[in-house]
Amino acid sequence: MNSSKNVDLKIIIIGALGVGKTSLLHQFVHKTFHEDYRTTLGASILSKHIMVDNTPLKLQIWDTGGQERFRSMVSTFYKGSDGCMLAFDVTDLESFESLDDWREDFLEKIIPTEQGFPMVVLGNKIDLNERQVRRELASFWCKEKDIPYFEVSAKNDINVVQAFETLYSYVNCALYCIGLESQSFRSRPPF
Amino acid sequence: MEMATGEPGSPTREGMALPQEQAGLCPTDTGGDELSTGPEEQEELLAPQSNGPMRAADGQGDAQEELSDKELSDSASTDNALEDSSEFGRPLGVGACDPGGPPAPSTHRDEDVTAASWRARRKHIFVLSEAGKPIYSRYGNEEALSSTMGVMMALVSFIQSGDNAIRSIYSDDRKLVFVQQGPLVLVSVSRTLQSEQQLRQELLYVYYQILSMLTQVSITRIFERKKNYDLRRLLAGSEKILDRLLNLVESDPGFLLGAVRCLPLPASLRDALGTLLQKAITPNLVFSILVARSQLVTAVQERAVIEECRLEPTDLHLLLNLIGASSAFQAGEIWTPICLPRFNPDGYFYAYISYLDAECTVCLVLLSTDKESFYAVSDCKKRVEEAMRTQGSLQVLSGGPQSPSYGVGQVGVPDLRHFLYKPLDIPENYRQLPQFTSPELEGPYCSEEEQHRLFDLYHYLHSRIHSTSRPLRLIYHVAEKETLLAWVTSKFELYTCFSPLVTKAGAINVLTKLLRWIKKEEDRLFIRYPPKYSTTPNPGKGAKGGRPDGAENGFFAGL
Repeated sequence: MNSSKNVDLKIIIIGALGVGKTSLLHQFVHKTFHEDYRTTLGASILSKHIMVDNTPLKLQIWDTGGQERFRSMVSTFYKGSDGCMLAFDVTDLESFESLDDWREDFLEKIIPTEQGFPMVVLGNKIDLNERQVRRELASFWCKEKDIPYFEVSAKNDINVVQAFETLYSYVNCALYCIGLESQSFRSRPPF
Repeated sequence: MEMATGEPGSPTREGMALPQEQAGLCPTDTGGDELSTGPEEQEELLAPQSNGPMRAADGQGDAQEELSDKELSDSASTDNALEDSSEFGRPLGVGACDPGGPPAPSTHRDEDVTAASWRARRKHIFVLSEAGKPIYSRYGNEEALSSTMGVMMALVSFIQSGDNAIRSIYSDDRKLVFVQQGPLVLVSVSRTLQSEQQLRQELLYVYYQILSMLTQVSITRIFERKKNYDLRRLLAGSEKILDRLLNLVESDPGFLLGAVRCLPLPASLRDALGTLLQKAITPNLVFSILVARSQLVTAVQERAVIEECRLEPTDLHLLLNLIGASSAFQAGEIWTPICLPRFNPDGYFYAYISYLDAECTVCLVLLSTDKESFYAVSDCKKRVEEAMRTQGSLQVLSGGPQSPSYGVGQVGVPDLRHFLYKPLDIPENYRQLPQFTSPELEGPYCSEEEQHRLFDLYHYLHSRIHSTSRPLRLIYHVAEKETLLAWVTSKFELYTCFSPLVTKAGAINVLTKLLRWIKKEEDRLFIRYPPKYSTTPNPGKGAKGGRPDGAENGFFAGL
């Protein structure tokens, strides 16, 4: 519960440079896609109002720059996150192989509860032909860690909404399980 | 950026009398006999000379006019050279006639570096480390250029071994300029007519932009630890930022003049917005900057900070370039570390960046020294946004399809096509950002080619004015397609562009009217008194307590 941030759920998107984090976010929030690549500076934050179990919630999504020079900032970005989206590019094996590092680095900085931290993995750019990461390989890795896996395309809007929905539902559920009741999401603590 | 204005030049014989009252000139400025006290007298004085050597055909070698002849022959060759220049394909960052926003800089990462077309590029920029490792190349993939960069490094080292530092190499049609800053070496290979000093300054801008992302202390530390570190690891994805900067540097007069262009606004509105920003503060907030359509609306600074240092145009240009090159799709809020290299090259600010309007033309930038303060700073933005909506000022700033600036027609003087005016008589204690004003480019400067050509001429005049060996105060440059007049006094620096058919008398007339118009409009064109705020509990103490020290204020938060 993000009591100090005036939002209900904070989700963070992490992953290597150029895998499509920003595109995934913009596809989800704005239903737009831009072919030209622009590196994200620091973190780019978008909000979206969603409904979970007929409860309106405000979702805040932090899209982080994959550049190494932002690594020192990440703990600031990660703070207060309720859920994490790990993204990689199916045409870039290295981006998949670095998932381990990204995930571990993240878990180190966030202290997860016993239930485990709500996470999903997205294999993006399935619209391209030059695949380097087989679906089975990614699935297997995710299954081992007990994380849902989604094959997505930000460009063609494939599975993007499902991935986000799964994540925030998972977050909502996890927070509920920790013992917070749904009405506490509505409270807006004074600044 | 320091503007070298040079000594009052010896060429007092420019053959022109100038309106003293406008410029506030004292007799020594233009040298006795040319001085006139009023416009009427000017006409008479000039009439006999109007058939003089300022016209191309006349070759009289009168000593008085010698400079003009030289100007002329210079300009003739200049024009030819410019006409022959084939590099017009690159898009310009600003100043385009179409109100469609700046065109995206094209990347040339995949360009074949062995092709003749690559060699033919007008200006190459290379950045490498002292160990000869490639970091950046404007055209082509820097990896493919490792051997070329190796050669550059060899040149640098060779000269260094003689306890010297290589500065430049001149060849028939190119200048190579070398700049070393710490462990980085920057090289420009240019076919433009820019002076070595100008090319050097451009390289410094590239260096500063790199600093804005990494800080100087980090770069030094990294290379101390590992001499052959590959800096691309930290700059990956930032090539577009440097590409865009290089396009801007050549096309935005702000870089040339070391000044910021303000959005023309009624002073009352600008003041109201400043007051608004002054109120929307939070602890550790140091700068609040409001920009509309790439022009500055107002900048508010924390009192204690500003006592010691000031925000320089270079820092603002770099900041805006970073934002322009990175704010992908421009919605939402951005929270990122940023270094302002001229302000403090070793420390990070944490920048909150957000567009206030749906069209993403009005941008609010808030700089804090506290990296955990995102939510507090975001709240400041909400307060600003709300207040602006109440005020109705957001519509004025975002303006719709209107041009952000003004057209030269507003000056109401025929024959005047374009100008750049930078006031110099700003009282130190107002701690202002150096500013300039300039109208929108219109026909015949709508095409990129023509804009390029015009800016090349401005660059040329600027280099002559600020030449270290022989600075000038005034240049009257007649060419086939236009006539330009560049003039620097203690009060201003001015570059004007006229139609080629203008006479000298006509030009002076236009100039007089222009200066009068600027004086009349100055409250609208410039920010006169930048507002300050105080977020420290005891502003007086804060100021005297010494300069913002890294350790105390959390400025040093490098990698």
